[in-house]
Amino acid sequence: MRNTTLEYDVSKAAELAREGKRLDGRALDEMRELTIETDFAKNAEGSTMVTLGKTKVMAGLKMGVGMPYPDSQDEGAISVGAEQLPLAHPDYESGRPSDNEVELARVVDRGLRESKAIDFKQLCIKEGEAVWVGYLDFYALNGDGNLFDSGSIAALVTFANAKMPKLDKDNRIIQKEYSGKIKLARFPLLTTFAKVGGKVLLDPTYIEEKASEARFSVATSDDGFMTAMQKGVGGSFTLEEVNYMIDLAFKVADNTRKKLKLK
Amino acid sequence: MTEQNVDYKKTKKRLDGRKMDETRPLKIDVGVIPNADGSAYLEWGQNKVYAAVYGPREALPKHSANAYKSVIKVEYRMTSFSVPDRKRPGPNRRDQEISKVLSEALSRAVFVEQFPNTEIGVYVEVIDSNAGSRVACLTAASCALADAGLPMRDLVAATGVGKAYGELVIDLNKDEEDAPDAVDIPIAILPNSEEIVLLQMDGLLTKKEWEKIAKLGIQGCKDVYAIQKEALQKKFKLGEASKKDLGKKTKKKVKK
Amino acid sequence: MKKIVIPGELLSEERKRLGGNVFVSDGKIYSRVLGISDDENERATVVPLEGKYNPQIEDTIIGVVSRVIHAGYIVDVNSYAESFIPRSALRNGELKVGDVIMAKVTDVNEVKEANISFPKRMFDGDIIPVTAVRTPRLIGKNGSMLELLRNGTGADVIVGKNGRIWAKGGDLELLRKVVFFIENNSYKSNLTKAVEGFFK
Repeated sequence: MRNTTLEYDVSKAAELAREGKRLDGRALDEMRELTIETDFAKNAEGSTMVTLGKTKVMAGLKMGVGMPYPDSQDEGAISVGAEQLPLAHPDYESGRPSDNEVELARVVDRGLRESKAIDFKQLCIKEGEAVWVGYLDFYALNGDGNLFDSGSIAALVTFANAKMPKLDKDNRIIQKEYSGKIKLARFPLLTTFAKVGGKVLLDPTYIEEKASEARFSVATSDDGFMTAMQKGVGGSFTLEEVNYMIDLAFKVADNTRKKLKLK
Repeated sequence: MTEQNVDYKKTKKRLDGRKMDETRPLKIDVGVIPNADGSAYLEWGQNKVYAAVYGPREALPKHSANAYKSVIKVEYRMTSFSVPDRKRPGPNRRDQEISKVLSEALSRAVFVEQFPNTEIGVYVEVIDSNAGSRVACLTAASCALADAGLPMRDLVAATGVGKAYGELVIDLNKDEEDAPDAVDIPIAILPNSEEIVLLQMDGLLTKKEWEKIAKLGIQGCKDVYAIQKEALQKKFKLGEASKKDLGKKTKKKVKK
Repeated sequence: MKKIVIPGELLSEERKRLGGNVFVSDGKIYSRVLGISDDENERATVVPLEGKYNPQIEDTIIGVVSRVIHAGYIVDVNSYAESFIPRSALRNGELKVGDVIMAKVTDVNEVKEANISFPKRMFDGDIIPVTAVRTPRLIGKNGSMLELLRNGTGADVIVGKNGRIWAKGGDLELLRKVVFFIENNSYKSNLTKAVEGFFK
């Protein structure tokens, strides 16, 4: 049974942050406990459930066959969607995608796409005629903040474990038969911070997001690259703060990759 | 994988090895979504669904409110990867219809007149499927409503039942739904009174077959009910409270 | 014997005095909710285990200001509907969003909106949320459990019937732990003894 004292918690979170404390007792640079479960959805080419504290996000991948874009005849593509299911939080609504959902999907998408983590040439079936399109959709099942990082982990792990479907001679997918995996060139992960009560907090909860003046996400890879950044919410960061967050993000993402054995 | 030459009258066993009146393995857990007022997770064969209940809460938009009862708003959805061919995001006509009939089935079970002007939001999400997702969702949703502490005259227990490969069978899977003579009938009852609160069908069926199917279906619902009951009860273990569960008292000076 | 019952579960085929959370159909008595029932009890009654706060006249509640409007304050009372306090009800000062108040329920209308009066702003302190229907165990018979909590932790404790414990001073971490324990074991026997033993 849910029982919240939202407005009270939000003002308390800001008050505590000023003293360097958090509602759940974490240090400002501490991430919540992370666990994952994979391959539960048998109709999907890959699926991952990420639990980050009380946040629960699941991702699934379906591969489809499509026509290549005119300017990249020998390359496949990916498409990332995000949904905050009304099941996951009393404030989430159904209907057309909200601005938050679109931003969430795009930031996770960019971290994967622009990082060239997936070599799109390997998704080519026949140049100029047929390519693979990877549809990755992730859903919040219980929303308690930081859907960016949990979504990014869910998406990356799903691609890393996905099975490629087999094709018949007319390039149609044969159901339930697979051949090989998608190879990843690097493993970029998002790390997100919120500025609350003037302090920078790693891995914000829903309450902390509500209390935040600004938000910053950066995707960092195992081979030392930053692959995407996004600043959000009305407030601002100093350059020192941004640099501090980037340094911390590399460490946090490295830890996560180690924990999840991503390499 | 449509098996044209299968004949259950000869094989006496179904494609997945089940007996004609045997339901696929069913597992239910309640209280799985912390943000929700009530929730349930259900696995039924390959079907996997989540259900969450929010409410009773203020009905929005305001004109949807009813001055005499709570409105049960059901949203049945499937994730894009829950079916063999990717489903496009957003509700389609099938989702809409299923949401409506599920809402109507649940409205009979809940004492809705106790909460005028409110809505009870019931959200069900299919994350993996293999025929029978709507009855899986209805079964899960009714557990989630009970888990939310709502007053109800009964749970709603549901199952698929029908005909495939020449035999009357309970709980059809996808291979059976694709049989040339397939008839799939989702049915749900209030187990105490055996009132039928959901019933759909398409295909060709004789009245005689229906009479047998109805019996089979009601028995199937009662088997489902036993698992629902156990799922709700297992959340609480009666007995004596033990101070051991409190651990050691940490030493800290207490101001009086 | 005590047992966990589910909505629609048959409690008695015989006539019995009716307690809370039951209904009669065809002369038989059934439970309306997920809860606990004791068939040795002379009355057929069910103590609910889950559920939102159902406001009753005379209840003491802990509210949180969720919106400030011209005429006063909208207060989240953890129930089906929000409550309202006019500005004039506060003797002095103003409230802002997130402020905590203690108040009494003085009326409940047909759509279960609680009319709350005698608001008192609670300064500092913390709120511990609990399942509303389980708060009676935190008070105990004649306030015995509440007394144990106060003495054992040295905290100033107020139990809001709406599922919110307000506390100030003393050992708050310890209080949180014991409140959580009581909430999770609310349906078990020997609860007071266990808590008493722990504090000794």
